[in-house]
Amino acid sequence: MIFLRRQVPLLITLITGLVFAAQYYVPHPASEQMLTSATKWLQIIGGFALVLGVSSLFHVHAVKIRRKEAGWGYSFVLYASMLGTIAVGLWSNGKEAVDGAMTAFGWIYNFMMVPLQGTMFAILALFIASAAYRSFRARSREATVLLIAAVIVMTGRVPLGEYLIPISGDLSQWILNVLNASVRRAILIGVSLGTVALSIKIIFALERSYLGGGKE
Amino acid sequence: MTFAERMLKIDRRIIFLVIGLCTLLPLLYPVGLPIKISPEVRGVYDHIESLPEGSVFLLSLDFDPASKPELHPQAISLLRHAFKKNLRVVALTLWVSGTGLADQIITQVAGEMGKESGKDYVFLGWSPGGTAVIINMGQDLYGAFPADYNGKPTKGLPVLQGVANLRDVNYAVSLGAGNPGVEAWYVFGKDKYKFEMGGGCTGVMAPGLYPLLRSGQINGLIGGLRGAAEYETLMGQKGKAIAGMDAQSATHLAIIVLVILCNIFYFSLRKQGKQQGYSGA
Repeated sequence: MIFLRRQVPLLITLITGLVFAAQYYVPHPASEQMLTSATKWLQIIGGFALVLGVSSLFHVHAVKIRRKEAGWGYSFVLYASMLGTIAVGLWSNGKEAVDGAMTAFGWIYNFMMVPLQGTMFAILALFIASAAYRSFRARSREATVLLIAAVIVMTGRVPLGEYLIPISGDLSQWILNVLNASVRRAILIGVSLGTVALSIKIIFALERSYLGGGKE
Repeated sequence: MTFAERMLKIDRRIIFLVIGLCTLLPLLYPVGLPIKISPEVRGVYDHIESLPEGSVFLLSLDFDPASKPELHPQAISLLRHAFKKNLRVVALTLWVSGTGLADQIITQVAGEMGKESGKDYVFLGWSPGGTAVIINMGQDLYGAFPADYNGKPTKGLPVLQGVANLRDVNYAVSLGAGNPGVEAWYVFGKDKYKFEMGGGCTGVMAPGLYPLLRSGQINGLIGGLRGAAEYETLMGQKGKAIAGMDAQSATHLAIIVLVILCNIFYFSLRKQGKQQGYSGA
């Protein structure tokens, strides 16, 4: 059993890891065909992952409702809205509109999901303003630099700022193009090197935490 | 409690009210300040402008309703431009929750410009797999999307004539609100299948994409509502983005004033504290 639970997954990881790393550099039709097949599998697995995610969500909230844990009412709302949307979605054949006419599923999407998501995102502006007022203080030299850069970029990115202080637009562009881009690039290179190192460790079984820590 | 202390502990509902008014009033009474065009936005516009009629333009609408205020005007302007240039538009989304929105945008603009589904454009819809969809499209577009959003088989559609995979795309733009988005399209798409690419994103994401822009990995970037307003200006069509710029100007100014005020009160408190400390000693 240990062979099936440990060695086999490690062997699959080693072979697929090496084969697909090499595939990128081999433009032979057979290699390309292999990539086509593998990505089709990935798409199919992606579909299953969606089903798995939904069923897992149902399970977590079913437990909450059964045990009447704190906030179980919200779980009930989630259950009702999810089942309702699935039923309406199946009934509407997954289409928001048919020949220009809105379906029931389209109604849920347009008049519930769109405004709800929009509202959640819009209230961020209010909280950002409140948080900026309470915590954006020049407490240290670093905080002062951050504060000045933020004020310049905020001024230079809107027409009113450019109208009041014409140089703010160019200054904001310079901050974004030079300071921001160089620092972001350094972070990106660091993250990418870390990803390569981690991938090598996973392929060669030096990192096995992804297998989980179940009983052997 | 001193005045500065009282001001620093001001009820946050007052701040909410200020921001609310700064958003609402400019929308009701627009000023219409001129909008300067940045080289990033011009990069996308100029490239589309340079494409010959019938070129294949891929638009990936990788966002959901949460990012609608910023990315919806970008999508509208890009599609109007592509249809005006008589490009063949291939649209899709990698975000399942954005499918309905993407369909509405494409249907609306195509209707406005008198374009026909299947002949002038195709909306492929959504397919599971995230970044795997990009690779799959790069290998075989018809394998990734055997049918379009309306269930019509993609093989044989006049709009896709001569298009087998992403290598046959002349220009691609991803309007991304996260992952998968612009970065995924570059890493899994452009890098391997060698098509020219531009990007569009929300305002908060834009600074993160500048390394791709500066290195030429993407040839242009439409960032947030400001980017959309610049594109509308280039197109000579006043839309929702230009209308929203006055509100954005006012809210930015309000936040800057709030930050300055908060620092004035903070330093006056510190000064008071030091003076009290000296007199105490």
